[in-house]
Amino acid sequence: MHRTLILQKDHLLPLLRKLRKDNRVIAPVRNRFGDTFFTEIEDFDNAAIDLDQQPQTSLKSFFLPQSETLCRYVTGKHPESGALEYSFHAQVPVRTPTVYFGVRSCDLFAVMYTDLVFRRARERDIYYDRRRSDAVFISIGCARPFADCFCNATRSGPFLDMGFDLQLTDLGDRWFVQIGRPRGVRLIEEWPAFFTLASEADRKAQFQVELEARGLFRRHVHVDLAVKLLQEQPDHAAVFAELSRRCQDCGGCAYICPTCICFNIADLRLDEDGGERVRTWDACTFAGFTRMTGDCNPVDGETGRVRKRFLHKLLHDVQKHGRPSCVGCGRCVNMCFGGVDIIRCIEMLAAEGENGSGGRW
Amino acid sequence: MTFGSGAMTNSIAEIGEAQVILVSGSNTTETHPQIARRIYEGVDRGARLIVIDPRRTRLARHAHIHLQIRPGTDIPLLNGMMRCILDENLVDDLFVEMRTENFLALRDMLYRVDIAQCATLCGVDEEQLRLAARSYARAQRSVICYCLGVTQHVCGTANVRSYANLAMLTGHVEQEFTGVDPLRGQSNVQGACDMGALPGVLSGYQPVSDPSVRARFERAWRVELPTTPGLTVLDMTHGDGSSDDAGVRALYVMGENPALSDPDLGRVRATLAGLDFLVVADLFLTETARLADVVFPAASFAEKSGTITNSERRVQLMRQAIDPVGSSWPDHRIIIELSRRLGYAMNYQSPAEIMEEICMLTPIYGGMYHDRLDNGEGLQWPCPDRRHGSTQYLHKYSFTRGRGRFEPAGHVPPAEAAEEEFPYILVTGRVYHQYHTGTMTRRSDLANREYSRPLIEVHPDDARKLHLRSGLAARVVSRRGSCVFTVRVSERVAAGHLFATFHFAEAPVNLLTGSASDPVARCPEYKVCAVRIEREA
Ligand code: SF4
Repeated sequence: MHRTLILQKDHLLPLLRKLRKDNRVIAPVRNRFGDTFFTEIEDFDNAAIDLDQQPQTSLKSFFLPQSETLCRYVTGKHPESGALEYSFHAQVPVRTPTVYFGVRSCDLFAVMYTDLVFRRARERDIYYDRRRSDAVFISIGCARPFADCFCNATRSGPFLDMGFDLQLTDLGDRWFVQIGRPRGVRLIEEWPAFFTLASEADRKAQFQVELEARGLFRRHVHVDLAVKLLQEQPDHAAVFAELSRRCQDCGGCAYICPTCICFNIADLRLDEDGGERVRTWDACTFAGFTRMTGDCNPVDGETGRVRKRFLHKLLHDVQKHGRPSCVGCGRCVNMCFGGVDIIRCIEMLAAEGENGSGGRW
Repeated sequence: MTFGSGAMTNSIAEIGEAQVILVSGSNTTETHPQIARRIYEGVDRGARLIVIDPRRTRLARHAHIHLQIRPGTDIPLLNGMMRCILDENLVDDLFVEMRTENFLALRDMLYRVDIAQCATLCGVDEEQLRLAARSYARAQRSVICYCLGVTQHVCGTANVRSYANLAMLTGHVEQEFTGVDPLRGQSNVQGACDMGALPGVLSGYQPVSDPSVRARFERAWRVELPTTPGLTVLDMTHGDGSSDDAGVRALYVMGENPALSDPDLGRVRATLAGLDFLVVADLFLTETARLADVVFPAASFAEKSGTITNSERRVQLMRQAIDPVGSSWPDHRIIIELSRRLGYAMNYQSPAEIMEEICMLTPIYGGMYHDRLDNGEGLQWPCPDRRHGSTQYLHKYSFTRGRGRFEPAGHVPPAEAAEEEFPYILVTGRVYHQYHTGTMTRRSDLANREYSRPLIEVHPDDARKLHLRSGLAARVVSRRGSCVFTVRVSERVAAGHLFATFHFAEAPVNLLTGSASDPVARCPEYKVCAVRIEREA
């Protein structure tokens, strides 16, 4: 079967409507306040699918919700000894076939990264796995990167070679469709009427779009250089000290980041007889993330926290997985009110590498 | 009062464009992060940052000049700065001439001020004081942001007037990127004040004492209104609890937790206990609600619709996101039902209908209809009618009250000074991960983990003297009570000062604070109280 097809733009909505019959369909939708989020579409006639803005949040929360109940627990007395006894009742999510439409390359790449953590071999996180198992990704190659994007520098876009089920490229009146993983093949086989074969001219046009997209990045972020500098020596005390001066410990960068997936588990007592065990997002920039009993904290209260997050993204994951775990989505750039974002970090490291002195704001 | 209206004169975004940003008594990065964003933005564009604060806050560390004054010495500091401005001919004469009144009184007062003496009194370097005065006065666009560190003093009103004096003297009001901006606290505290949740005014700051104002409201409500101002919170919660006719006998508290947040808690609790009847409406069973005869479970912001007004006078529409949890009701529904049972049938179908009445009766909100606010960003008052847009900054061509009036002020020492038995000054405030009395944040696992215990900040020199280390328990005693905190040795406070928050019911710091308050605003002096600190076994 040919790996490239054409989907007329007019036929996109009808196709999604078909897919909706057996799946949840999730796509970037602009709400009435002008903000775009990935949203489940139930009513195709009244949903404003928005492919012109970057969705404000990534897909992270669909697989790892900001807060989820892992199990309920009930306390009781042991029938003989009378000792306090806990019984647990797991709350495992049901598998729901879902089509994620309009996912940008960076966000899809981020899912591949989180898969590495939660779905590796036998060490599967059942909660993540259940949500993730029946997902189909129809991604969109970015013909026009957004203002703070730098996926070209993290090599997670603007177009992908793998990871998607279908990848679409905007050719004006039609979508150019590349088929990736088996689910993409199956989708095409199930709804063949929507697709026609791509011509040589289509392929050329697609190549052209992809080529041009690479030239359209407004930010030039030297990710490789920063990685190299950190590999040479991970200290860079001056840079991290300067960055930390403005970090107020809010965790916003980690919450918005598609590849920050640290979590906390806590028991929430609801009444006399029991409660819930809840997993919530956490962030390594919180001092409490590493604080131990007796107030001892192996990571210092100011610089250590901030350094940890950037080193994880740019050094530790390179050591572990062979590439940085920042996917260049640029979301943390506007999130931090102090401006402590990854681009600033990389720029400061690069500046320090150049003139030898500590980075300045 | 000096300009004629109580709100931020500018918009938040303008702060980023100022050339000099003077921040006083505000731990902005912890309590107003989105305003801190603009301050950082300004600094990155080259603005000079002057911070006046007894504590070395994060913002103070970024300041070009940090005037680490003794708590309660804003007035001598500002008088010193203004004297310097006068001496060096940096007064904006044209502005003073055209737009203000009572300048001579200020000038005469300033001629009696000695800058060196002021600096000593405030505990700051004289040259730094002069530097701050010069950069503030010389820049074309200078803005002042202040917060509770300025107002929560016995001389809070005079403090604010002094900042206004400084701004008027140098012509730094009534234009974009200048002005005097109080940073308001809780998300809708500005809205609450706008709606007349103050003793002397009806909505939109219309005085109760004005018969024509009363007449308008009486026509709308078909009742007769009292002619005299009501009581301030402090008067309500610090009564003697006796049943003489002047005392408050019953209280209806909505979303407040005076049993933890008001000063001199011993007295507050006695007053609450002495009431005949206490009703509390809140999200959770707070310390105050536990004392109540009747508790109404109230709906949270996510469970109701309405508007919120922020620091920059922006009225924003808030829409219900989830159904009320449990048996909770939105506040307006509670009030309507209560009123009906008390024999006055209120009949409003929706918050939008209530807003229509607000628009009708409140000139500054005249055009704030829900359908207009549904534009993504709301509107800034004054907005007198439907044709009127947002007002970005106030006092454009003239002050609300006509001319801005200089109100010279002299130093008013705090109600308590450090002395032999109570040699330390305790300053109270807030931290990033907790909110007020913790009604909500202390129920959030993560927020609570980040700041889980009542801490007291002690300067390293004092810690050495007192044999205190971080992590040890210490008892702090004032004339009114005592509480136990965990010590955190920190250079954020100056030697001789201590800092604690009021978020924790385990160590209710307001058992220590006094109820001395500003005579005009009746805002209590949370920021200064004399204490001693000793190691707790
Ligand atoms: S670090 Fe910032 S730019 Fe990189 S993936 Fe996370 S949010 Fe996006």
